[in-house]
Amino acid sequence: MAEHIITFENNKPPVTVATGTLLAEAIQQATVSLNQPCGGQGRCGRCAVRVTDGTVRSRSTLRLSAEDVAAGYVLACQAVVESDAAISIPPQEKIERLLTTDLVSAEVEVPAGYDPHKVQNVRRVTLTLPPPTMDDQTDDWNRLLTALRQQADFGTVQASLDQIQGLGGVLREGDWRVTATLDAERWDCPGCPARLIDLKPGHTPVETPLWGIAVDIGTTTVTLWLVDLLTGKVLAQVAEYNGQITRGEDVISRVIYAGKNNGAAELRDLVLTTINALLETACKRVQAQPCDVVKAVVSGNSVMMHLLLNIRADSIRLSPFVTAINDIPTLTGREVGFNTHPAATVDCLPGVASYVGADITAGVLSSGLIDTEAVTLFIDMGTNGETVLGNRDWLVTCACSAGPAFEGGGVLDGMRATKGAIEEVWINGATFEPTFRVIGGVKPRGLCGSALIALLAEMALTGVMDKGGHINTHRDHPRIRDGEHGPEYVVAWANETAHNRDIVITNVDIDNLIRAKAAIYAGFSVLAERVGVPLEMAEQVLIGGSFGKYINVEKAVEIGLLPDMPWENFHFLGNTSVRGAYLALLDREARARVKASAARMTYIELSADNIFYDAFTSALFLPHTDLSRFPSVQAAVVS
Amino acid sequence: MALSGIQIYKMLPQINCKDCGFPTCLAFAMKLAAKQVELSSCPHVAEDAKAQLSEASEPPVRLVSLKANGHEVKAGNEVVMFRHEKTFYNKPGLFLRLKDSQPAGEIQAAAAEADGYCVNYVGRDLTLDGFAVEAVSGDAAAFASAIAAVRQASHRPLILISTDSTMIAAGLRAVDGENPLIYGANTGNWQAMTDLAKQHHASLAVIAESLDELADLTEKIKEAGVKDLVLDPAARDLSQSLALNTQIRRLALKKNFRPLGYPLISFPGEGSDPAQESVMAVHAITKYAGFIVLDHFAAETAYPLLVLRENIYTDPQKPIQVQPDIYEINNPGPDDPVLVTTNFSITYFSVANEIEGSGIPAWLVVTDAEGMSVLTAWAAGKFDAERIAKTIKSFNVADKVNRKRIVIPGHVAVLSGELEEELPDWEIRVGPREAIDLPAFIKQVL
Amino acid sequence: MAVEIPKDSWAGSVRVVTLGATPADGGTRSHTIMIGGQNTLPFMHFEKSTPHRPVIAVEIKDRRPEDWSGLLLEIWGDAANDPATWAKQAEVASADLLVLALTLTAADGSPTTPSMAVGAVKAALAATKLPLIVLGPGQADADNELLVPVAEATKGERLALGLCEDKNYRTIVAAAMANDHCVVARTPMDVNLAKQLNILIHDMGLPLDRIVMDPTTGALGYGIEYGYSVMERLRLAALQGDAMTQLPMMVTPGFEAWKTKESKFGQDVPETWGKWEERAINWETLTAMTLVESGADVVVLRHPESVRRVHQAITDLMTVPETV
Repeated sequence: MAEHIITFENNKPPVTVATGTLLAEAIQQATVSLNQPCGGQGRCGRCAVRVTDGTVRSRSTLRLSAEDVAAGYVLACQAVVESDAAISIPPQEKIERLLTTDLVSAEVEVPAGYDPHKVQNVRRVTLTLPPPTMDDQTDDWNRLLTALRQQADFGTVQASLDQIQGLGGVLREGDWRVTATLDAERWDCPGCPARLIDLKPGHTPVETPLWGIAVDIGTTTVTLWLVDLLTGKVLAQVAEYNGQITRGEDVISRVIYAGKNNGAAELRDLVLTTINALLETACKRVQAQPCDVVKAVVSGNSVMMHLLLNIRADSIRLSPFVTAINDIPTLTGREVGFNTHPAATVDCLPGVASYVGADITAGVLSSGLIDTEAVTLFIDMGTNGETVLGNRDWLVTCACSAGPAFEGGGVLDGMRATKGAIEEVWINGATFEPTFRVIGGVKPRGLCGSALIALLAEMALTGVMDKGGHINTHRDHPRIRDGEHGPEYVVAWANETAHNRDIVITNVDIDNLIRAKAAIYAGFSVLAERVGVPLEMAEQVLIGGSFGKYINVEKAVEIGLLPDMPWENFHFLGNTSVRGAYLALLDREARARVKASAARMTYIELSADNIFYDAFTSALFLPHTDLSRFPSVQAAVVS
Repeated sequence: MALSGIQIYKMLPQINCKDCGFPTCLAFAMKLAAKQVELSSCPHVAEDAKAQLSEASEPPVRLVSLKANGHEVKAGNEVVMFRHEKTFYNKPGLFLRLKDSQPAGEIQAAAAEADGYCVNYVGRDLTLDGFAVEAVSGDAAAFASAIAAVRQASHRPLILISTDSTMIAAGLRAVDGENPLIYGANTGNWQAMTDLAKQHHASLAVIAESLDELADLTEKIKEAGVKDLVLDPAARDLSQSLALNTQIRRLALKKNFRPLGYPLISFPGEGSDPAQESVMAVHAITKYAGFIVLDHFAAETAYPLLVLRENIYTDPQKPIQVQPDIYEINNPGPDDPVLVTTNFSITYFSVANEIEGSGIPAWLVVTDAEGMSVLTAWAAGKFDAERIAKTIKSFNVADKVNRKRIVIPGHVAVLSGELEEELPDWEIRVGPREAIDLPAFIKQVL
Repeated sequence: MAVEIPKDSWAGSVRVVTLGATPADGGTRSHTIMIGGQNTLPFMHFEKSTPHRPVIAVEIKDRRPEDWSGLLLEIWGDAANDPATWAKQAEVASADLLVLALTLTAADGSPTTPSMAVGAVKAALAATKLPLIVLGPGQADADNELLVPVAEATKGERLALGLCEDKNYRTIVAAAMANDHCVVARTPMDVNLAKQLNILIHDMGLPLDRIVMDPTTGALGYGIEYGYSVMERLRLAALQGDAMTQLPMMVTPGFEAWKTKESKFGQDVPETWGKWEERAINWETLTAMTLVESGADVVVLRHPESVRRVHQAITDLMTVPETV
């Protein structure tokens, strides 16, 4: 087969590839970094590169303008090498790292009355062993076991080979004074069996923290809390984008990517890199070592959990949508690949179904839904739009593919809520001129979720578009115009923006947003209908997900994303998933309770019949086709 | 009265033991509410709850089944007034009436023609369900030989028509071992008819001029031991018949009124020409008949009625799909573009409407994606390169166009590589993601 | 045993829409047609009387539609060459009103001009005294270009102009508002979409009693069950008091039925389909009757024999039974 040489502008060594190779693969071979947020599906247009010499065959030019194409731009993931070519790679849009850190995040309250002696399964003890003598030739291991039994009430203890290998050295190095860390089912009762995690020479001072981590692996963001298990205090909170993003923005893209060649291993490495980097950062803040961490509790949706553990995930996306495993047995840091103590206990929280994972069960725990008598609606405003309805007696749950629109995905000028994002917009009803607020007070670069919600509400209210989401092109106004993607409204003119391009919202964007909000609304309303509980019966609405922190309730109700209820019924909880992991990190009972709640949750597959579809089309309107569901909005429009 | 999932759940043991095959008691309760499982699947339900739940799950319209020689026609078991509320379950049986006054040869020929009639509609073979033989001669032997003549030509279930019990007795002897329908019992003859029905395991149609009378009769007959009843409220004009059928269905479903909780029989052909018979039969099919007796048979009238019956009794809960096919939009020619999409009806409509509205001629290839939209189907593995390639081949698209080039939706750009492998002679182009951008794409890019 | 007849009592009723205007109201029609007004499901005379019977509109074209089935071209003969003659013939066939569907192009292939469209509409109006519905060719630009001058040239006649669709309704609605006409709002077989379009049109300021909705149907064998159920649901919603569905419904069984193979073709079809003409008429008639049962207020038909049969059936259905 013919081979071709691909050269690069920025002094990177050229690579030789066979005819038919994707340009994206050639670029990766040259170890040049290339973002592929859509996972190489030709959907996002972010992998645009310029062919400066030679030609490639382009399968798709989606999201490239006519000028771009004329200038030689192609999508690397959609371009096939068929001759020698020279490539110029524009500077990759850096993903900004303005995420929640402990510098800005609120201090986490330790559950009242936290007592590790009662509820923590990991325990650190100091032991003083009698040295062996000619009269007492007991072996080292039994000597340790005896001390554990006599001085700390442990019964049978398991250890790994490397611990046994190191045993003699540690005992002697500490002159028969050692500190042991063990994971025991219960250690407030004598004779409890345990697993040895760590054995160190000498006596560690009692006030030295015993480190554990709570990790939430989100499709978009990974969050890690570093916790002192002795006090329960969260001493560092760090977050970072999930390294897998460059291989696909949604779970389906990731599962498909995992199915290709070496995809699964690559995705596992990417997320481990993210987690271990976060661990490093967090530990640095408190002058600890990652290997001091002896316990980890992990939460995340089912796909994230499968990919972390490199478990085949194909069956999650294909009918009848089953996971390989919902309730993962306790693992160790070494098995998972964490840079914690190799023998650290790693607990992955249990999920319910393919599209209702541990992130939701953890959320049910931490939101208090599991304990409340009040019928509660819990919505995780993420890409998968998971919803739980119920109380301590019964729980039903569903997921609906809302997509990433409210996180800025699939929207022309959409972006995440970072510096430079417009976060709030108002439109003047008489002049149709917008006013906006930008995160960081700088020139804007795009629109984040809260701005998109506000825009939908404002445009509908002012008649810039009709309730069906069609921009009213009959209105003669410079901001309303026909763009490349059909009618659009200009939010910021080029001279006001950071990149000197107009920031617009197009009819296609609006369609995507309305579909996202309709999916979420239809999800929880159908869930309620299915079990025969009217939505009005829900006494409170709990909203989780990092996205949930930013939305403006009034606007969200105005566009029909949230149900029309008194505002005091809504409670924004932030990241409920990591909080659930944190609770399970502290309290061994918590995991059991998550598991019990997972077993009680009835998962409802929405795609099983037409009812969801009907509810969905009904919600594809602002705020809703059935206006009687939104009395306050109706009243506002009339007034 | 139908119970909701939560109401049923409260009567269940709530132990989530999974013995019923469902993950939780609530999941089982919701299946029960939807009448998709039997209560007996739960081994732990308490006796009092069982009694309550069984009551709730008894069908408001009794299932009546006519059987002969391996053929079966069922009516009843319906639970809704409108098909969109759930579905209509048992298609009304279509029967052709023959009279014993006709010569046996004629009867046999007519029966043979109707019995052999079989028309294919979307891959299904549609036929009539049986025959109604009416005793008009007044001669029991003639009736029996008319039945024999029908049996020479057809094995399908029968309805025996006479209000004279001696005729019916003769008729029943001629079809011993079958479960026919006797038409029928009235205030004058019901005791004799009931005895015959009991004796021969036949179902019994009950005829009365008013609902009061009808209810009285069914109660008496039920008391006397025949439960498989069919109602004829004796209306023969459109307006009256529509009103009575509706009232009876409402009484059964909404009032749980057992005396009228039986399937209905209609005679749209009585005293009218075939054209009017068809119009009457429309009403019988849409509005609640369980058995329909026609007086005329011709392919051009039978075919549309059989199709209407299929359509009305299609389960509306299944995703709305369009037939996978190659659709011609604005009369395309061999040089016009070939577009591919899925068979979810809304997807199809939005694509077809955009193109139709633009006036651009195009071929639209609709792939069987089990009624899912493009992205959903792709995510579920129902719209992949293999399926698209198979569709292109099976509809012989290559024979219709000069240029072998297909346009796939922008949402599945990822498939272009695999498609190139599946369809090596074809050029694969990635179209826009939204249907609204299609006309511009075709004009500017293709 | 005295059986108590269960009667539904509804909170809402369908609005009455008046089509056509007499000289007293600024038009030239000899009479108007009123549709809607029901407070029960179709023909439930034992609950409430039905104020206005469903009507039959006969579809005519501005020029001979060569793509129509040979059966139709044969039965209408030369009348189909000219909208005025065709309109008269349709009236003879006992049409209650007319639908004039404009063609996209003239016979020579050039686009239909506004003056041609206005001419055809005026000719149809002059030929009969029946109320008229005018439909554009079905492409947004052409519809807007032709319907606006038609609306202006017939101000006061209270035509119904169509088809308004969710992506193209503003121009037609504005023209109807300015010239005292009604509109036909078409949506593709979906309860929600139908309702949404009514809201959008109403939001522009057109009173609800000037909107007729066309929820679209499939022909018998081609998705009629979807159209049927959508219409039943819309009517139920209207009776339950949902204002945005309380509009009369128009459907086009003629158009749908005559594009099926069963109606259109007499050759190269299975023998089990039976005789062509009777089958074709049955197809149209059964499609129409099924939709009348589900609540249609206007059925648009094409074949005079179907018109006769459906007319007879509607008369039968409107007969109040003696026992009530």
